[in-house]
Amino acid sequence: MPNIVVLVKRVPDTNAKITVSGGSLDLSAVKFVISPFDEYAIEAALRHKEANGGTVTALTLGSDACDKVLKDAKALGVDNLVRLWNQGWENLDSNGVQSALASAIGDLGSDVVYCGKSAADSNAGSTGPGVAERLGWTSVSNASAVSFEEAGVEAMIPTSSGQARVGLNFPCVVSMDKGEMEPRRPNVRGIMMAKRAVVEVISAEAPTPTVNVVRYSPPAEKPPGKTYEGAGNVPTVVQALRNEAGVI
Amino acid sequence: MWCRLLERVEGVYMPYEGLDFYDVDSLLTEEELMVRDMVRDWVEDEVLPNIEKACSDGVFPDEWRVALGEMGVLGAPLEGYGCPGLSYVAYGVICQELERGDSGLRSFASVQGSLAMYPIWDFGSEEQKNKYLPKMASGEWIGCFGLTEPDYGSNPGDMITKAEDMGDHFLLNGAKMWITNGTLADIAVVWAKLDGVIRGFIVEKGDEGFSAPEMKGKYSLRASVTSELVFQDCKIPKDRIFPDIKGLRGPFSCLNNARYGISWGAIGAAQACFHSAKEYALSRIQFDQPIAAYQLVQNKLSWMLREITKAQLLSYHLGKKKDDGTWFPEQISLAKMNNVDIALDIARMARDIHGANGILDEYCIMRHMANLESVKTYEGTHDIHNLIIGRHITGIQAFTRTA
Ligand SMILES: Cc1cc2nc3c(=O)[nH]c(=O)nc-3n(C[C@H](O)[C@H](O)[C@H](O)COP(=O)(O)OP(=O)(O)OC[C@H]3O[C@@H](n4cnc5c(N)ncnc54)[C@H](O)[C@@H]3O)c2cc1C
Repeated sequence: MPNIVVLVKRVPDTNAKITVSGGSLDLSAVKFVISPFDEYAIEAALRHKEANGGTVTALTLGSDACDKVLKDAKALGVDNLVRLWNQGWENLDSNGVQSALASAIGDLGSDVVYCGKSAADSNAGSTGPGVAERLGWTSVSNASAVSFEEAGVEAMIPTSSGQARVGLNFPCVVSMDKGEMEPRRPNVRGIMMAKRAVVEVISAEAPTPTVNVVRYSPPAEKPPGKTYEGAGNVPTVVQALRNEAGVI
Repeated sequence: MWCRLLERVEGVYMPYEGLDFYDVDSLLTEEELMVRDMVRDWVEDEVLPNIEKACSDGVFPDEWRVALGEMGVLGAPLEGYGCPGLSYVAYGVICQELERGDSGLRSFASVQGSLAMYPIWDFGSEEQKNKYLPKMASGEWIGCFGLTEPDYGSNPGDMITKAEDMGDHFLLNGAKMWITNGTLADIAVVWAKLDGVIRGFIVEKGDEGFSAPEMKGKYSLRASVTSELVFQDCKIPKDRIFPDIKGLRGPFSCLNNARYGISWGAIGAAQACFHSAKEYALSRIQFDQPIAAYQLVQNKLSWMLREITKAQLLSYHLGKKKDDGTWFPEQISLAKMNNVDIALDIARMARDIHGANGILDEYCIMRHMANLESVKTYEGTHDIHNLIIGRHITGIQAFTRTA
C-alpha cells in the first residue's frame, strides 16, 4: 500500500495586507493558512489513500509556528504530521528547501509526493520539480486531476493544445493545480483528532544559501480609478479606453 | 472556497473578519478556533450566496442539514452516542457563526441540538439515546421541540396537551404551535400532561394521529420552517416517555442550553450588520466625504462596537461557567435578553446607516432585523427574561404576582 507524502506550506492568508518596513516584511499582524494549492495536494493525497489504502504523511519545513498548518491538515484526515527543521534555517533558499525536503522524503520511504503547484507567498513553483530532480523521481506539474493505479498515478496536465493524461510510476512527485478535485472541509471529528495529534520533528542537512534577499519593497500604489456616470459619458469612456488605457 | 481566494487576490472581495476589539479570540482554545473557522468558511461559501433565495422561497435548504451533519456540529456540547463532545464555548462560537449567516440557520441547529437532542441525552432511557442520538448528530434525523401552544406561550405550565396511559400505549391529544423544524422533523420531543404532570414524549413522524402542518406567512425567520403539531388520538408506544423527568424542569433545562446558544448567535447577527454598516459608511460619499467621516455616523459605529464587545465578553464568560458547571439560569436570561436586544438595535442602526439601500435584499440588514424580532420573542420573551431577573433581585414572582 502506498506511502503517500503531501507537502504543505504555511503562508500569509491570501487576503492579508502585507506591509514592508525598513526593507523587510512585517508579518506580525498577519493570519497564516495552508497555501491554497496545497489544499488540492492534500485532497489528492487523501483520495489516493481512500482508493488504494496506505498512509498519508503531511510534511512541512519550518519552525514550530508551522505546527498549526499541520494540524489543519490533520483535521482534514491525514495520518501523520512531520515537521522538518534545523537551527539557522530561517533564510534557506529554494535550493536548500528542496534538498532538505528531498532527503526527508527519502527517509520517510515514500512512494508518491503531492504538493501545490506553487506557494501563495513566493509563487516560485519550483518545489515539486526541484524535489523530484534531487530524488531522481519522475514528476509532473500543474495536475488538475489524478487517478490511482497499483504502482503509480495518472495525472491530467495542461498542454499547449489541451490536456494530456500521463502515467507515472512510483516513486513520483505530482504538483497540483486547482482542478476538478474540490478540497474537502474539516469536520469536528477531524479537529478533535488534530487536537491530540503529535507533530514529529525531524532534521536534515541543507546546503548553505547562495541566494540572499537584499531587500523587500512594496509594489507601486495603483493610481486611483476614475468614475463616470450616465449614458452621456459613454464617448468619454471609449476615448479614455482607447487613448489613455490603450486597451481598445 | 477557491473563487473566494481568487477574488481576494484581485482585491475585489471584502473579507469578513469578525470584530474582536477585546481580543476574545485569544481566550479561545485552538480547537474552538478551528471549529469557528470551519463554520465561518462554510457559511461564507455555501450559506451567504444562497440565503436570500432561501428566504424568498421560504425554505430551509436540505443541503444545509447535510452539511451541518457532515461538519459534525449538531448537538455540539453533548458527549457520547455519536455526539461531538465539544465545549460549551465551542457550541457558542458555532451558533455565532451560523447566525452571522442567518438566524433561521442557527435556529435549526439550536432546536436540533439543545431542544431535541439534549433532552434525549439528559432524560432519555439508554435505548432512546442509542436509537435517536447518533442519527440526529449526523443530521440524518431532524428533531423538533413542542412546548408552546396556541393559548400558552409565556406560561407553558398551563398547557392543555395531554397524554393518557392506555395500558399498552399512550394516547396524546392537543396541539402545539410555532414549532421550529416541525414539518421537517423525523421526531418531535413533545411536552404534555400525564395525570396533570408535565412529561416529555418522543413522537415519530408517521405515528398514527400525528400531523405537522407548516405555518405560512412569516415575515421573519423565513429560511426556517415553523409548524403546528397536531395530536388527535395520537397513539405512541409506552417506551417513548422520558422515564423520570417531571414538571417544567424538563423543558426549561433544554431552554437554558438553547438560550445560551442564542446569546452567541445574536452576536453573529450583530457582527454581520456592523460589518456591512462599516463597509457601507466608508464607501458611501455624501457632501463629498464618505459618510463614515461624519461624527454622527462614527458615533453609531462606535456604539455598535461597544455593545458587540460587551456582548462577546458576557457570552464568553457565561460559556466558561457552562463548561465549569457554575452557572445559574438567571445569568443565561441576562445574556439572551441583552444580546438579542443589542443585536436588534444594531440591525436598526445599520439600516439607518445604509439609507435607502438598507431596505434591499442586496444587504443582509433587513433580513437580520426581521429575524431578530422572532429571536427576541422565542425562548422566553425579552420581558419574561426581565421578570426572571426581577424575581432574582426581589424574590417576588411577577408573572403571577405571588411570592
Ligand atoms: C419563529 C418562531 C419559532 C418558534 N419555535 C418554537 C419551538 O420550536 N418550540 C416551541 O415550543 N415554541 C416555539 N416558539 C414559540 C415561542 O417560544 C413563543 O412565541 C414565546 O414563548 C412567547 O409566547 P407567545 O408568542 O404566546 O407570546 P405571549 O406569551 O402571549 O406574550 C405576548 C407579550 O406579552 C408579554 N407577557 C406575557 N406574559 C407576561 C407577564 N406575566 N408579564 C409581562 N409581560 C408578559 C410578553 O413578554 C410578550 O411581549 C417559536 C416562536 C417563533 C416566533
